[in-house]
Amino acid sequence: MSETGSGPGRILVAVYGVFALAATSRAGVQIATKFHEAPLAYGLSAFAAVIYILATVALARSSRWVAVIACTIEFVGVLAIGTYSLVSASSFPDATVWSGYGQGYGYVPLVLPVLGLVWLRRTSRTPTTEPAAH
Amino acid sequence: MTNPLATVIIVAALLVAAYSLIATLRSRPMDWSHLVALGVLEVLLAGQAVVAGTELAGGAGPRHPATFIGYLAGIMVIPVLGAAWGRAERSRWGPGVLVVAGLTIAVMIVRMQQLWEGTGV
Repeated sequence: MSETGSGPGRILVAVYGVFALAATSRAGVQIATKFHEAPLAYGLSAFAAVIYILATVALARSSRWVAVIACTIEFVGVLAIGTYSLVSASSFPDATVWSGYGQGYGYVPLVLPVLGLVWLRRTSRTPTTEPAAH
Repeated sequence: MTNPLATVIIVAALLVAAYSLIATLRSRPMDWSHLVALGVLEVLLAGQAVVAGTELAGGAGPRHPATFIGYLAGIMVIPVLGAAWGRAERSRWGPGVLVVAGLTIAVMIVRMQQLWEGTGV
């Protein structure tokens, strides 16, 4: 098995790091300044931040199972919150990272967990078992 | 937050991203030139923090400046973390990290301009 944080995985971890920073800052500001306005949305915002931090660290350190769980929760989260934010817009006066399937962030939050899971699957195969190209 | 400085930073960040992308496409690892480029970017960002900080203290800028200040400080860690994370990888993917860093800084500056002018929420 190869390292999940090296090779192209470097870039994946870098993008995850950016989202960990973005989600944490966003949740921090929301909770510090106006938590009472929409506790559900801002609570979810904080939850998303924790998941991004977890995924970033797990991918960087090749903690495969943690990374798989974090990416899966993230994917379910972006689909669930994305749908919920469209159906019940009043519960989300101020967007979370996952609102509208991450449209405020160029839909990167929707694509990222899929890339993460594909990458985890690819790196779980040992290079020696791949057929040699002739 | 002055628009000319913001524009200079956006252009510089996109140049760093493009320059790093060339290294990735040519299968080159990061070298000293990338560190110099990131250093220039960091100096520009520090200058922006001083300028915008002074203007904020003078009462200019957004009415609720918490988010803006978060961006102003947060953006300064990107070149440092990008350099550290990219340098540890001695392959084409090292400068690839700097492509992400450059694009992120450009997007963050655009967002900061919106926050400063109170548009786009």
